[in-house]
Amino acid sequence: MNRYFRELSVAGALLLVLAVMAIFAPGFFQPQPLLSLATREAPTLVVACGMALVIIGRQIDISVGSQFAVCSVCAGLLAAQNVPTALVALAAVTLGAGLGAINGLLVAGLRLPSIVVTLATMVTWREALRWQRQGAFVNLPDSLQWLGLSQSAGQWTLVGLAVALLAVLAYVTRHISAGRLVYAVGTDAEAARLAGIRPQVVTFGTFVLLGTLTGLAAMMNVVQSPQVDPKSGTGLELKAIAAVVVGGVAISGGRGRLWGVFAGLLLLACVAPALTHLHVEAYWEKAIQGAIILLAVVADGVRSRKSNR
Amino acid sequence: MKKLLPLFLTAALLLAGCGKSPEASAGATQASGGAKKITVALLPKSKGNAYFISCKAGAEKAAKALGVDLLFDGPTDTDPAKQNEIVENWITLGVDVIAAACDNKEGISTALRKAQSKGIKVITYDADALPDARAFFVNQATPEGIGYGLMDEAARLLNGEGEFAIILATLTAGNQQEWLRHIKNRLAEKYPKMTLVATRPCDDLKDKAQSEATALMGANANLKLIMNICSPAVPGAAEAVKQAGKAGKVKVIGLGLPSENRRYVKEGVTDSIILWKTEDLGALTVEAAVALVKGTLKAGDKSFQSSAMGEFEIKGDNLLLGKPFVFNKDNIDQFNF
Repeated sequence: MNRYFRELSVAGALLLVLAVMAIFAPGFFQPQPLLSLATREAPTLVVACGMALVIIGRQIDISVGSQFAVCSVCAGLLAAQNVPTALVALAAVTLGAGLGAINGLLVAGLRLPSIVVTLATMVTWREALRWQRQGAFVNLPDSLQWLGLSQSAGQWTLVGLAVALLAVLAYVTRHISAGRLVYAVGTDAEAARLAGIRPQVVTFGTFVLLGTLTGLAAMMNVVQSPQVDPKSGTGLELKAIAAVVVGGVAISGGRGRLWGVFAGLLLLACVAPALTHLHVEAYWEKAIQGAIILLAVVADGVRSRKSNR
Repeated sequence: MKKLLPLFLTAALLLAGCGKSPEASAGATQASGGAKKITVALLPKSKGNAYFISCKAGAEKAAKALGVDLLFDGPTDTDPAKQNEIVENWITLGVDVIAAACDNKEGISTALRKAQSKGIKVITYDADALPDARAFFVNQATPEGIGYGLMDEAARLLNGEGEFAIILATLTAGNQQEWLRHIKNRLAEKYPKMTLVATRPCDDLKDKAQSEATALMGANANLKLIMNICSPAVPGAAEAVKQAGKAGKVKVIGLGLPSENRRYVKEGVTDSIILWKTEDLGALTVEAAVALVKGTLKAGDKSFQSSAMGEFEIKGDNLLLGKPFVFNKDNIDQFNF
């Protein structure tokens, strides 16, 4: 019980919110709007999973929003040239992996602090895109939307894909040695090195994985609309990091579970539509999300103090 | 042979240059002979932007009709420093009048004042400079014009009754708040049977607007219209309405570019897009610039008689383009910006 306390408390908070909605705004639970909202959040979940691994490995990547935008626009431009959808997806994922590898090389190879490196790449990619696109949308061919499936089949596919990825990654991180290396490096890189692990390789790997997932997430978002906004992904890094922190991953590395991240993301994602359904002023949205994050961080702080004593 | 290639190329270039020169000199004589042709220099915020390219198209038509020369140059990306550089060049060149859309109010005003001190007339359009750095500002839309235009269009589509919601960029942006205020004023004074049920921010992002619109439709079963007062929100809300299968039942209107919304307007998801006619803005700017040089437009005037577009009101030193234009299914294909 105690081992899972942090994850369970997030799940409890989520259930509480859903209970409140069931009593005060039962209209929240309509299947089609809920499926649409889940589809809108699916790409964020994919990014948050990658982010969780980077943070468990004691690093951070704040450039994911810009990576997301670059991958989205490139996918859009390729699709507009009538490149087959499968190749477009492959290109987006590969590009994401490449952008992740640049961060990984700078952080793991040159041993630079990840917050500074990714701050720099965040600004660079975003401004390069602004210069290249001048804010103009990319118009996509009709065949790309929902991967050519019907709308509800497309929505289920995207949600299913995100949840399946989560399940696979959750299993891998806990039960396969490659996943456990990330925890080892995040807990104590020096001890991991003495135990024969190469921490730099592990760190590089987590950045590449996050980039790859970001590229995939970009593709999952591009197929939801017939136009790509070059500003897309703005603020994505905050949403992903918030979900990770609220979900019980320690920002100091080495601890946390992807199931917790899932619950954290759902909790945060519920806030905005819940307020809309309860007819509460939008001013409260960011304040409530902020309070949730603060509560999570405080809970972590109190807990680590207790365990240190 | 390879060594000779550059030689050939140079020779070819020289020949090409020679071929052109008689024409060019003829042009020069023409310009210097007789009454000097007025040169209008038009500065956009950025020259690759579809919005300003459309302004330029209108400006070119007006320049041709008035028989003046038009220079059009600007930064490739929005860049206040580059704008100053271009103005400096125009001062050296000795143009008659500069019409500027200012990226940075304070930044460019020094250069514009310098132009004025050299006897060059200065007006601004689209985005103003400091008042002492120009004679007139060609104002494309007042906040009141935008707010009333949106509210009136919403009321027209709903026959004056029903629930509607607003999606805006952020709850803090100054222009958004001002438009919102005028929308609410108009609502209170003219449309008692209409209710504003929610105002949601989308952070100026299309994707977030799509999520917000989805939630708004779920939460308000009687929602009849979504009014979007920032441009990315219009296609975002339209996509949400389309995906919810509510096209026609929930109407979409907003402030935006025709090019970003053409698809939804044609599909019947978005009913109307409100913006000014950018070609008219370019044309009026050139007409006013020429009138300023000729002395037919001067401080204190209450109206301006355009040769092609009728009369325009002047409020203080703002020359008003007039009411915003409504783009819909019937006319959207005539506009390509």
